[in-house]
Amino acid sequence: MKTTLYYKTKKIGINILIHLFLLSVAITCIFPLVWMVSSSLKTQETIFRDTSLIPKSFHFENYYLAWMEGGFGRNFLNSIFYTTSVVIGIIIVSSLAAYAFSRLRFPGSNLLFFMFMAAMMIPIPGSFVPLYVLLNKLHLRNTALGYILCMINVGLSTSIFLLKTFFDKMPKELEDAARIDGCSKLGIWWHVALPLAKPVLAVVVIFNALNVWNEYVLALIIFDSKPLMPLQVALTTFQGEFITRYPLLMAGLTITALPIILVYLLMQKYIVKGVTQGAVVG
Amino acid sequence: MKWFLRSIGLALLSLFFINLSGCAPQTSGKTANITVWHWMTDREPAFQELSKRYAAKTGMKVNFELYAPSDAYTQKVRAAAQGGNLPDIFGVLGEKRDFSSFVKAGHILELTPYMEEEGSAWKNKFFPKALAVNEFIPENTYTVKPGIYGVPIDIMTIQMLYNKDLFKELGFNPQKPPATFGELLDIGKKIKEKNMQGLVSGWGEVWMIDCFANNYAFNIMGQDKVLATIKGEVPYTDPDWVKVFTLFKELQDSGFLANGLVTMVNKTAEQLFANDKAVFAFNGSWCVNVYKGMNPKLNYWAILPPQVSDKFPMSIWGGAGSSFMVNARSKNKEEAVKFLKWLTDADQQAFLSEATQNLPANKDSVGKIPHILAQFAKGMDFATHPSIWGISEFSPVIEAFDKGIQSIIIGEKTPEQVAQEVQKIKERELAKKR
Repeated sequence: MKTTLYYKTKKIGINILIHLFLLSVAITCIFPLVWMVSSSLKTQETIFRDTSLIPKSFHFENYYLAWMEGGFGRNFLNSIFYTTSVVIGIIIVSSLAAYAFSRLRFPGSNLLFFMFMAAMMIPIPGSFVPLYVLLNKLHLRNTALGYILCMINVGLSTSIFLLKTFFDKMPKELEDAARIDGCSKLGIWWHVALPLAKPVLAVVVIFNALNVWNEYVLALIIFDSKPLMPLQVALTTFQGEFITRYPLLMAGLTITALPIILVYLLMQKYIVKGVTQGAVVG
Repeated sequence: MKWFLRSIGLALLSLFFINLSGCAPQTSGKTANITVWHWMTDREPAFQELSKRYAAKTGMKVNFELYAPSDAYTQKVRAAAQGGNLPDIFGVLGEKRDFSSFVKAGHILELTPYMEEEGSAWKNKFFPKALAVNEFIPENTYTVKPGIYGVPIDIMTIQMLYNKDLFKELGFNPQKPPATFGELLDIGKKIKEKNMQGLVSGWGEVWMIDCFANNYAFNIMGQDKVLATIKGEVPYTDPDWVKVFTLFKELQDSGFLANGLVTMVNKTAEQLFANDKAVFAFNGSWCVNVYKGMNPKLNYWAILPPQVSDKFPMSIWGGAGSSFMVNARSKNKEEAVKFLKWLTDADQQAFLSEATQNLPANKDSVGKIPHILAQFAKGMDFATHPSIWGISEFSPVIEAFDKGIQSIIIGEKTPEQVAQEVQKIKERELAKKR
């Protein structure tokens, strides 16, 4: 009886500790978001004076001003377009490449794979100037296509690595069964490998969507035309060298964060699967 | 779920076609006669207004294109220089070394002949020290052909500020700021007594410590001796340098320095001063705009740091804030120069100053700007800047110097110890150079 009580108390104690820890992590993650929304409803003056999370007066006009002054309308559509195009491009190319690296044996396949992996080590700012010169020579500078191709290239290495690891662990028997049913190699990739890889694909989608959505330096370098710029560039209009218009910046950030939060919510189920049981397939 | 995915697909497809129209290179510069690339977000509306005024006056369209933040702008300008896509007018950010590399690569037009036209009419409009930042003197270490290569559009000085209301609260006359270092120490004692915060500044971003220390080094030993030290002819263990280091100990002991100053970033310092939580600040003229945004009612004034010695004049850091350069390979370079001449005229400079709360580069505009800005502009008479000294200190020495001062403030080291350590690094760097 005593032992049962001891184990029960111990279990409750451990649970309380775990929940306290998780609660503190959750608060740490949520607090900046709450602060961002709260600051977006204050004035420049009250941001520095009123530190409470609930503003004394709500300035919803900051959202309107941020949208209009930042020219968010066009930039917002651009960001959605770039993010979707790049993510689709990455999924198609990386899943095909990862499947080929995992299943096809050809001379130099390992070397090629390691070369792809080595590309992960090169920080993108280090390649800005060569990229600019290359795009200039190809007449792709200041074009949406040039930017999309660059961003697909940026996301490929990690995505190939993630998907190849998954395909390596996928039982070959599944493919044999599909082959007996008359599936071609491409058919197996489409009908067997891709549906099974949904959790990993969700991770690839999230990582790359976040990466493209938040990118602005390359866009700023490649584009000269304002109508081609993504949303993040519009945000920088509120950030001066010495002075930052915090209420408008925070309102802009809130607008910018919404779509990515939506993607997270839609893909939440797959992401958890991808992180926890990515290796369990078939 | 399928209908949802289909509708997303349809929406994206339509978006794709909308965006394809944007895929073709859009040369926004096509309709504009002159294209200017800049990084100054806060000046964008004023530039657009000036562009309209110029178009109304001359019929020439000037297209100001903003690329911020400054780091990304710098990358863009570098990449554009490599690709031969620089606009008609642009700015080069960074150190003078970067500026010189653009000049040597033939990207920047030499403006000396234009400046010296009609009895140097254009040149004489500027504060001489503002122009000096854009000038390469004969026998410069960068091996650039001597001349003027940039046009300052505004200037800046870094000075000491005091909160008049808090000054009064301490029992001092707000119209009579401290004139000597001794008075500063007395005020420090009073600040300590009243449990208030003294000087705030961005000394966590160490270059501001360097700036403050250099002000006093110039006052104690004069420019020649400071430059001789950089050349390696005078050691940092010289009594004058030890005196400079000792000033920080005295300031700390008196209670003049605010708590946590050594790790304070300038944004925090600005916030504290703007909210009446610190009596003094050490900040650049850009702060006028910052304080206006944070607390429009802030009652403050700018002064030169009170001097320690009357042997040499007090010097402060100042010079060109932002400058524009003309692309030497541009077809519109003559028009670009004409536009810059117009932009730096007294009226346009006064407009820019009022709209952006920056100091005008044109000295004739000073009478037309707010008092506090005019006070900062007066400091130009005492201004100097490392970029016009013609020589520069080794980075490891600057680092040891600034960090040494931080350790004096927190009581970790004595001024003599820091002087010896800095000198040791200086000797090491000199030996490497030899």
